[in-house]
Amino acid sequence: MSPETSLQDPLRFHRKSPPCAVVIYGANGDLTKRKLMPALYRLAYEGRLAPGFAVIGISRTAMSNDDFRERMHESVKKFLEDSPFDEELWKSFSQGLFYLAGDVSDPPSYQALVKCLAEVEEARKTEDNTLFYLSTQPSQYAEIAEGLAASGLNKGKGWRRIVIEKPFGHDLQSARELQSRLEKCFHENEIYRIDHYLGKETVQNIMAFRFGNGIFEPLWNRTYIDHVQITAAESIGVEGRGAYYQEAGALRDMIQNHLLQVMATVTMEPASSFTSDAVRDERAKLLRAIRIMRPDQVPDNAVSGQYGPGRSGSEQVSGFRSEKGVDPESQTNTFAAVTFLVDNWRWAGVPFYIRTGKALPKRITEIAINFRTAPLAMFRKATAGAEALPNVLILRIQPEEGISLNFVSKRPGSGMQLRPVSMDFNYGSSFGERSPSAYETLLLDAISGDATLYTRQDMVEASWQAVQPILDYWSTQKFDFPNYAAGTWGPEAADEMLARWGHTWRRP
Amino acid sequence: MTAEKPIKPDKILKELSEIWSSMAKPDGDAAIADAATHGGGVLRACAMTLVSFVDDEEDSMALNNTLAGLMKEHPSRSVVVRLKEGEDFLDSRVFAQCWMPFGHRRQICCEQIEITASMNRLADVAAIVGPLAVPDLPRVILMRSARIVRAGALRKILPLGDKIIVDSELPGAPCFGELGGLLDAGHITGDLAWTRITDIRALLAHLLQAKSPKQIVIEYSGREAGPEARYLEAWLEAALPATKVGLKGTGGDGGGKPSAVNVDADLKVLLTDGAAEYDMGGMHQRAAMSKCSDEELLNIELGIVIHDPVFERALNRITA
Repeated sequence: MSPETSLQDPLRFHRKSPPCAVVIYGANGDLTKRKLMPALYRLAYEGRLAPGFAVIGISRTAMSNDDFRERMHESVKKFLEDSPFDEELWKSFSQGLFYLAGDVSDPPSYQALVKCLAEVEEARKTEDNTLFYLSTQPSQYAEIAEGLAASGLNKGKGWRRIVIEKPFGHDLQSARELQSRLEKCFHENEIYRIDHYLGKETVQNIMAFRFGNGIFEPLWNRTYIDHVQITAAESIGVEGRGAYYQEAGALRDMIQNHLLQVMATVTMEPASSFTSDAVRDERAKLLRAIRIMRPDQVPDNAVSGQYGPGRSGSEQVSGFRSEKGVDPESQTNTFAAVTFLVDNWRWAGVPFYIRTGKALPKRITEIAINFRTAPLAMFRKATAGAEALPNVLILRIQPEEGISLNFVSKRPGSGMQLRPVSMDFNYGSSFGERSPSAYETLLLDAISGDATLYTRQDMVEASWQAVQPILDYWSTQKFDFPNYAAGTWGPEAADEMLARWGHTWRRP
Repeated sequence: MTAEKPIKPDKILKELSEIWSSMAKPDGDAAIADAATHGGGVLRACAMTLVSFVDDEEDSMALNNTLAGLMKEHPSRSVVVRLKEGEDFLDSRVFAQCWMPFGHRRQICCEQIEITASMNRLADVAAIVGPLAVPDLPRVILMRSARIVRAGALRKILPLGDKIIVDSELPGAPCFGELGGLLDAGHITGDLAWTRITDIRALLAHLLQAKSPKQIVIEYSGREAGPEARYLEAWLEAALPATKVGLKGTGGDGGGKPSAVNVDADLKVLLTDGAAEYDMGGMHQRAAMSKCSDEELLNIELGIVIHDPVFERALNRITA
């Protein structure tokens, strides 16, 4: 037995990362300050990082290593969540932070990185393992990958991985074009496409719930499930991101990536093992089974919305078109609702309703599994029809993560009066320990070479294929926007979409 | 002396049920319906039965605070058995521990039963506590009573739990020989002294990856190596059979706790309060170590209700 094996204690030890250098492009950006650096610091706090660990931040702003460390110090203190800040630990952690000013379109900047990485490897013993994290404009992904390859940084004694943030293209064609440039520089198994939704504890818990329990999976099919509703609602508007959002819209920003991945997690077949490729194969198969709409089917199965002025609680909210950087005639959707069908044996005929939007009444992300009603309404005469209520299993992703099962129960007393009750599992109260942030989980996974929670190109393409007919159809339409007031649950057409199936949206 | 009222598990369970009913009642039926649909009210949580045996002298407030802290991660039906010397005595009371998670609208409550008994009623205690366990969920015994150890009565309470947790660092704790006897009898056993060295072990496992050291010396402060130092030695011996592992006292009054680990001549890990410090590759490194309150240690142990082969291997090595 090797020393490594015999010293391990999988029951008690947390997973630790191997030595490596993380090169962050866009090191002066919001994502680095708010998410990446606090996540890396927290991993260091928990002792998950190897002693041979370093971060090289790259952006155009000129600054020294010390300036960079000072900026990151402030950011981590400000954005670290649910965790104490240890100045002594920071001193040790910050020794591994380095900075390089450079423009991604400037070839000498890659040569400077070659030199810097060699120096860092010597000083920090990173064993030449390198993770490139592209926290930049998506339009720069391919250029950076090509710059790295041209300077030989895509190969070395140690491993190489590249992490890119969504969006992976802005449509199917651009996603393929991006891939064709990336795959010339890195192997598919070196490309990590991050979808932070998949890193959320509660999304991972969906798999534990489905495949770790014996009682639900037999019910998890068209025989027992009537329909599924997936809601991702934001109570705020675009709040300063108007210029970006105007180019993306709700369908691209949420449904094409996060929510189709969530839907795939809810509906995929059990994997033969909990390994990266086995799990991703099943997700990909499910995404490929989504029925592709014909253009004439889009109006009945997809609803586009944009919020106008309204109220959020007691606050007056202006309409999307009044946001800074937004075209006053903008045709961008801030709300999208789509009915998807999955053409496989398990789900044939079961509608999956997905909706997402800005400026809705509350912030909530949940999946509601609506089961079929009991076959015989034997209590109808004695009740107000309560027994006809379907059982609903609700998987809450945020904000109060948990699982609820709604069912009917007899009211105490004489007679057979039924009423709906809820059986709740609350993630936060059942497991009081701190949950790692999605970025902690995903960064540690990438450094450790575990791609289970990352999306693969075939998954990206399959989800673009599912939404592409909608994008194409909508691009030919002129919508009468705004069509819903801020603080409401979206346009009436979204209700009508479900009414055609005899269903109504849940009010979460 | 007044006649003692008999204590029956059924009665205790009924009292618990009444507590839950009373917590639901004040706002009436409508409040329950509201709780069901809107998430208000009280949420009852239970993941295990935790039976704590303590001596009557133990600070009940400190223990209750520890148990209350555990409820957040391991909501349980908590039974505290307080044992005292002296005349025939047996009494019980029930109450609920509730807290409101930050930002939530619903209280989370757990049940607590407290039984106070004289040592000569231990058999009655066992007969009462057994039926109080929540069906189908793990049952864990937290053994903090020196009286039970002194009386040689440890085995009498074992049938009440699937796992027994002790703390070898406490005065009057069972000795390693007794713990080894529990393992031999097939009981799942945990020792907080072992839990305390988890972070140190994890760090050493990381630092010694792919290394085959010739010698490791564990320094401890005090005249005699304490349980933590001995566990560390036994773990390293079992994991690295080709390495010579030894203990070295450095004097002082540190209670025999490990203060440093020397790996050959090239690595020294200094164990200070809440951190480990060492030099590697010319860089000074500092790794945070858990502060190790009873609550934190128990949170870890309660999460492991199966046999722990690494711990058992180390304990067997000590008792061999």
